[in-house]
Amino acid sequence: MPETLLMQARAGDRRAFAELVKAHQGSVFSIGLRMLNRRDVAEDLAQDVFLQLYRKLDTIESLQHLGFWLRRVAANLAIDWMRRAPYIATLPLDESADVSAPEADSDPLMSRELTRLLGELAPHPRAVMLLRYQEDRDVAEIAAMLDMPVNTVKSHIKRSLTALRGRMIGAKLIDCEEVP
Amino acid sequence: MNARVVFTLAAVLLAGPSFAQTKGRLNLPEFAALADKASETVTVTLDSNLLGIAARFLSNEDPEQAKAKKLVSSLSGVYVQHFTFETDYAYPKGDIDRVRKQLDAPGWSRIVEARSKKENTNVDVFLLLSGDKVQGLAVIASEPREFTIVNIVGNIDLEQLHDLEGNFSIPKLGIETAKPPASTAAPAKPK
Amino acid sequence: MTELENELRRLLRPVDAPAGFADRVMRSLPEHAKPAAITVLPTPRRSWMQQFGMPTALAASLLAAVLLGQFTAEQRELRAEQRGLEASRELMQALRLTSDKLDIAYQAVQGPPPSDPEENRS
Repeated sequence: MPETLLMQARAGDRRAFAELVKAHQGSVFSIGLRMLNRRDVAEDLAQDVFLQLYRKLDTIESLQHLGFWLRRVAANLAIDWMRRAPYIATLPLDESADVSAPEADSDPLMSRELTRLLGELAPHPRAVMLLRYQEDRDVAEIAAMLDMPVNTVKSHIKRSLTALRGRMIGAKLIDCEEVP
Repeated sequence: MNARVVFTLAAVLLAGPSFAQTKGRLNLPEFAALADKASETVTVTLDSNLLGIAARFLSNEDPEQAKAKKLVSSLSGVYVQHFTFETDYAYPKGDIDRVRKQLDAPGWSRIVEARSKKENTNVDVFLLLSGDKVQGLAVIASEPREFTIVNIVGNIDLEQLHDLEGNFSIPKLGIETAKPPASTAAPAKPK
Repeated sequence: MTELENELRRLLRPVDAPAGFADRVMRSLPEHAKPAAITVLPTPRRSWMQQFGMPTALAASLLAAVLLGQFTAEQRELRAEQRGLEASRELMQALRLTSDKLDIAYQAVQGPPPSDPEENRS
C-alpha cells in the first residue's frame, strides 16, 4: 500500500480513506471478535475505531504508525468494553461467534479447546495474546500499545501459555513432554 | 557504657522491624545497586499518606480502578520491589532470604508455597493474621531472571486483591444479550 | 516456537470483516469534509510603550508580578496533580503485579484440571 494513500486520506479523499479501512478491517474486526466474542459487538467496536481514526487522521504520521495506532485503539477499546460489560465475553461455545480462522481446523478438538481457553483469559492477558499471536507484534510494541511494562507483557504471555498448556495437557490434547 | 544501656539497646535491635515500624510492614532492602544491572525495575513505596493521594486520582468510572479504590481504603501501605534481568540469578539471594527471615516473626503464616521445578519459579505467600482479619500480606516470587517482593499493610480483602487482574478472572455468568455502553463517537449504523 | 504457539498463530489468523463493513463505516462518517488547517498570523502592532508611555510599563510590571504569582501557584497545583497521578499509576502497577503473583499461587493451589472421562482422545 503506498504512503500516498495516507496522504490523500489526510487531505480529505474519502476513497483513499475507504481503502485504508479495507486494508485493516480484518485485523481490527478480529481483535474485537476475539476479545468480545460476538460478531455484532465486534463490528460496533471496529466501526468506532475507524470513526476515531477519521477524526485523528492528522496525527497519523505513516502507514506503520497507522497499523500501530489501529491495533492500540482496538485493543484498549475492547479491554474497556469487556470491563464495563464482562458478560459479553462469556457466550458458551455452541453460540460462539466462530472466532477461529477457517483453515485452522487441522485439529478441530484442539482448536475448539484453545478457543474456549482463550475466551477465559482476563482482558489484559487476552489482548496481549492476540497482539502477539494474531498480529505478530513484538513485546516492546505490545507494551507501548497497552501502556504496560515490557516485563508485564512477557509475564502475561508466559503465564497464559503455561496455563493453556496445562489445561491442554489435562484435556490430553497435547503431550506433557512438550517443552518450550 | 553501662550494662543496662547495652541490654536495652540490644533488646531494641533484636526486636527487629516489628518494634520500630507499623505492624505488618517489612524492612525491604533498597537494592540500589541492582537498578543498574536490571533490565526492568519497579519500586513502589506508598505509605498511608500517598495511598490517600493516589486513591483520589483513581477513577470511579473505570471498574478496575474503582475496585482498587475500594481495596486501598483500608490499607496503610503498599511496598513493591520488582526486578528483571538479562541473565540468570543476577540478584542477591541472600537479601531475599533476609526478607523471608522477617516472616518467621510471630503473627506471620505462610499460606502458599508454590514451587515449579520445570520453570524454576518459587512463590511464597504470607499473611499476618489478627484473629480472622488479614493485617499484612507478603509475597516473595522468584525466577531465574526476576524477583518480586510485595508487602501490603492494613486490613486486606484477599478476594478483592486477586480479582483485580489475575489471568483467569472473568466471572462466568451465562448468556447475556445486552450490549456494552454505546460509544459517544458512534452514530446509528445502517445495516 | 512451540507446537502450542504455532497452533495459536494458525487459530488466530485474522478473519474477514463482515461483508459491506467498509461501506457501512463510510456511511457513518460525518458529512462535511474535514477542514484544511488554517494558520492565522497575528497582525503586527505598536508596542504599549510606543503608544502609552512609562506608566503603562509600571502597570505591566505589577500585572506581571500578579500573573507570576498565579503561575507559581498553578505550577504547584500542577506538580501536586502530577504527583497524585504518578502515585495512582504506581499503585495500579503494584496491585497488578501482586495480583499476577497471587494468580500463580492460586493456580498452584487449584492444581491441574481433571480430564473429562467422556472425551475419547486416546
